[in-house]
Amino acid sequence: MTNLPLWFIPLFPLIGTVLLGVIAVISSGSKKGPSEGFIGALAVLFPALAFASVVLLALNMPAEGLRSTLCNWIDIPMLKVDIGFLFDGLSRIMLLFVTGIGTLIALYSIGYMHGDRGFTRFFAYINLFLFSMIVLVLSDSLLLTFLGWEGVGLCSYLLIGFWNHDVNNCKAANKAFIVNRVGDIGFLLGMLVLCTIGGSAILNYDSLAAFIQMIVSGGHVDIVIPFLSLAGLCFFIGCTGKSAQIPLLTWLPDAMAGPTPVSALIHAATMVTSGVYLLARLCSMFVLIPDVLTIITVVGMLTAFWAAVAGLFQNDIKKVLAYSTISQLGYMFMAAGVAAFDASIFHVFTHAFFKAALFLGAGAVIHSLAGEQDMRKMGGLAKKVPVTAGVMLLAFAAIIGLPGFAGFWSKDLILEKLYVSGPMGPFFYGVGLLTAVITAVYMSRLIILTFFGEYRGSKESEKHIHEAPACMLIPMVLLAAGAVGAGYLWAESIGLTTFEQALEPVVGAAQASVIHAAAHVNPMVFAGLGTAAALLGVAIAYVKFGKARIPEAKGSSAPTGKMATWTFLFDIIHGWFVALTNIVAWIVDNCIDKLVQFVQWLIAGIVEILGDGAASFQVRKVRLQLALSVAGVVALVVVVLLTGGLI
Amino acid sequence: MLLHLLVLAPFIAAILMVATSKEDPKSSSRLAFLFGIAFVAMSVALIAGGAQTTQAMEWFRIPGAKGPAFYYLYSSSLSSWMVLLSTGLSLVALITARNTTCKNYRNFAIGIFALMGAMNGTFLAGDIVLFFFFFEAMVIPAAVLIAGFGGKERTKSAMTFAIYTLVGSAPMMVALWYVLTKADNSLLLSVITAVQTMDPSAQKAVLICFLLAFMVKTPIFPFHGWQAISYSEAPAPLSAILTGAMSKAGVFGLIVWVLVIFPLDPGVVSTMMWLGLATAVYGALMALRANDAKKLLAFSSMGHLGLAVAGVFSLSESMLPAVLVLLVAHGLSAGAQFLLMGIGERMTGTRELDKLGGLARKTPVFGSLFGFVAVMALAVPGTAGFVGEFGVLLSLWNAGPLPALVAGLCIILSAAYMLRFVQKVIFGEQKCEVADEKRMTALEGSSIAIMAVLLLAFGMHPAFVTKDLNFVSDEAVAEMSKASGTAFAIPAKESDEDLSAAADGVDAVAAPMSEEDFRQLDSNLAANGFSEEERASLIKQLREMDKEEADLNAQADEIDATAKEAAATEAPAAEGGNK
Repeated sequence: MTNLPLWFIPLFPLIGTVLLGVIAVISSGSKKGPSEGFIGALAVLFPALAFASVVLLALNMPAEGLRSTLCNWIDIPMLKVDIGFLFDGLSRIMLLFVTGIGTLIALYSIGYMHGDRGFTRFFAYINLFLFSMIVLVLSDSLLLTFLGWEGVGLCSYLLIGFWNHDVNNCKAANKAFIVNRVGDIGFLLGMLVLCTIGGSAILNYDSLAAFIQMIVSGGHVDIVIPFLSLAGLCFFIGCTGKSAQIPLLTWLPDAMAGPTPVSALIHAATMVTSGVYLLARLCSMFVLIPDVLTIITVVGMLTAFWAAVAGLFQNDIKKVLAYSTISQLGYMFMAAGVAAFDASIFHVFTHAFFKAALFLGAGAVIHSLAGEQDMRKMGGLAKKVPVTAGVMLLAFAAIIGLPGFAGFWSKDLILEKLYVSGPMGPFFYGVGLLTAVITAVYMSRLIILTFFGEYRGSKESEKHIHEAPACMLIPMVLLAAGAVGAGYLWAESIGLTTFEQALEPVVGAAQASVIHAAAHVNPMVFAGLGTAAALLGVAIAYVKFGKARIPEAKGSSAPTGKMATWTFLFDIIHGWFVALTNIVAWIVDNCIDKLVQFVQWLIAGIVEILGDGAASFQVRKVRLQLALSVAGVVALVVVVLLTGGLI
Repeated sequence: MLLHLLVLAPFIAAILMVATSKEDPKSSSRLAFLFGIAFVAMSVALIAGGAQTTQAMEWFRIPGAKGPAFYYLYSSSLSSWMVLLSTGLSLVALITARNTTCKNYRNFAIGIFALMGAMNGTFLAGDIVLFFFFFEAMVIPAAVLIAGFGGKERTKSAMTFAIYTLVGSAPMMVALWYVLTKADNSLLLSVITAVQTMDPSAQKAVLICFLLAFMVKTPIFPFHGWQAISYSEAPAPLSAILTGAMSKAGVFGLIVWVLVIFPLDPGVVSTMMWLGLATAVYGALMALRANDAKKLLAFSSMGHLGLAVAGVFSLSESMLPAVLVLLVAHGLSAGAQFLLMGIGERMTGTRELDKLGGLARKTPVFGSLFGFVAVMALAVPGTAGFVGEFGVLLSLWNAGPLPALVAGLCIILSAAYMLRFVQKVIFGEQKCEVADEKRMTALEGSSIAIMAVLLLAFGMHPAFVTKDLNFVSDEAVAEMSKASGTAFAIPAKESDEDLSAAADGVDAVAAPMSEEDFRQLDSNLAANGFSEEERASLIKQLREMDKEEADLNAQADEIDATAKEAAATEAPAAEGGNK
């Protein structure tokens, strides 16, 4: 079955998008809408088909990967790009979990979106998202990746603003798109810089790698380093937008306005990790520019720490998970920053499982409470929704890194790589470990507030609490299984390195070129410290929140006071830029434009006055008019004669 | 024949429309649709058929000019696409206007056809007098239509529009006359020869007059005073044509009648590029503040065209295809947005953003289409707008990092105002009643949807637009040479190449390439990652071109020699005639 063409994978969700989109538009007039069962079946079928083809291809993939060029895309002077696909170790792993988790979440959404007016529209968007994400991951050139890159951003916009009758949702969606656009300009400029040094041909990943290899073997590294650094920095700005890193992270917490399956799929498992994917994809370039890598590490570290602390302050269950996602993404960038691209992708992989499970669990909780998201009004739900609680607990164990669970393996790996990364290593490691403690604290807080203690909501709402339907529970359980088991693909201390070997052909050479002074470290020490951090965090949370009375929930769930300043720090900074733009726009509107209009009015006024003057000739003075006419004719004749006659 | 039809038949159609009923829009619209479809079919045939040219017919002599003006048309890829925009948008405008401007549809259609004829003439003219004639003629039907069918301030806006644009091109008329006193006749190639040999200071004055006319028409900051009020007061179908097709006449003029004719000095080029960028920023900022939906769209168009003009004057190799794609994309997307906004205004009776809202819920099909077209206007990759914008960005990057950064800023701002627009119009709470009988009809919806699908198609396969891009075909050159009795083989070659040549101010010296050069090129290409086959085919092409060029040069030398002989005998006679 190796002859299955690569373009089949994106084709399926594309068909799904078109089909569902047409149905959505046609049926939008009718009151009842099409049958949910039918639409749901279609919506799951196409992602599942895509997943099946990925599995088939993945099983038969040769070590060097599959490449196919579909056709030409843009062919103008200076810019020649093909539509081509590249299926190698990296895209295989990304595609497996993107389509796999995508299918599961589509299944979950059938239950979650039951009875919504925009049922069909929702699944059209989900399929469009999967199409764009597959293109992003599968493409063999930066420009086609950018198509997916903006495509997923567009779907994110559409899905955040899915319930568009509420203006606040629309504003969150606009914010997500615009902040991402800022990052996307970075991506665009990065591509332009690369075009400057190698023409549009090196937008292709293989050509780029070949080009860089040629530079390295030819010893011309010094000449291109400034360009490569600039390009790397631009691409990293693009990544900070898409993957919600400092400074472009403000959109992700707001993005929680969308339906919860969307938060699980787009804003936790897949789209936000595409920045990490891009870094790994361009690893051969990034290893040449250690300065940029240091910037990436520092940004990742700050983001991880800042977001973890912000996660402590949230009362909205989805907001906690949103900040947690940002924090975990920070870990991934730290790993990429010390050139441990395989470790960062491994964390992307495990994170996809446990964070999707957490979000889906939170979605099930919200669903059972009829839309309540404030954790201060929850409590004691473990007895009422036991399956959801179980799933969440397993995922919780994974994210805080209890030994044996997925997060333990990947997070420890990152911390270990940080420690051995160089002179600054122990410092990065320390911050990482501290962040791990905070992670354990806020996650335990979430679990305690939601599932333990007494129920704090109103009496009548308590009666309606129910476990989610099976089509929601099955994906949750499967993801929880992933959260437990996914780590064993790369459990170095017990000798399993499947994952590392799978990525070796893609990132191995690049990583080998920056081998750090291999300090001899005992992995058991790291494992022990990591576990201790997790347990310490749980203990702190238990002491602080276990027995304490939870303050009565009043007003909005947003944090207040100093906590708000910390949480919204970057919103405040973005606010300055928005204000600046508005001021400039005001000046343009009220000063420059008025000036232009004034000049126009002035000229028109002068002409009018002159016209009035000329009109005074228009009186009944026959002689004067006759004289003027004669003078005019004479003038005309003179002009004609002077310029050479009529012929 | 096709060219004659495209330019003259719209006027005949306009006359025939007089015969239809004034009161009954149904019957008169049938004939109008029929004509509209025929013109679209013709312009598609024009694009499919490649470059064409007509016989040059002597038209009249301008007092003082050295030679006659010709009625002469030719088509290049650029002009054929502009003609398609003009006919296509006119057709969709006629379709949506049937329900929007019910009263006296017949007269509206007459105006639209007259406008279409004038626009086609502008794009297809190969003679500068003819070009200028149509360039000015466009204004009249447009102004009459604004005055007849516009909004509350229609008289004022029609006056502003007509006077501003006519006054803007008045200096060009004078400059044109001056050029004609120097040129053998007014055909494109004679004008090139005349201008190139002109005294530098005179050349510069002429250039400024030409630039002024085109900057007013586009419009480029600070000559945009007429635009917002005209676009917002004009009936929406007309606004769609004005922005989608007529404003292109300015950019078209800059490419065909400025870049080709004048040897450009770097100062003018960079000034124009920065003016274009300033327009782009200015348009985006004004759109961010606009509260009138049609004004917002007007400023958004201004921003996009500013970017296009900046792209034109970045003068890199990729300039022409990138700008062409950008223009086509803008014509379709901005046109579709104006048409949709016209329908929205018809349904709700207002176009103030604060009073609109929630249309996605009330009229889902309209909402979906509106959102879809807005996404196209955002230039998301995969749409034609992206190909154009990225090409222009690449071209600007070649001119320097700062222009590219400014263009990037505009792209961010365009997302900001476009999303605000979408949010205010179709999302949020519903604030206004929707008149049921005035909803979007299936015909309107599908015709706008076709425009949106075309944008996607051109975005995924821009080769539809960019393949076989040519400026002046060989047949056109031959015809112009025949008409003016001189050989233009060499200037024609230059006009093809002058874009790249003008960039560094060096005349393209077409020295044949040596074997050494080919080897050098081959290794360069290899370094840039071209495959074996690609390199081989490229070099083969180059070799063929080289050979052709050598042949052409030999021919041209012969023709030159004969032409000189002929000129030597004719010249005294001609001079005698002039005196």
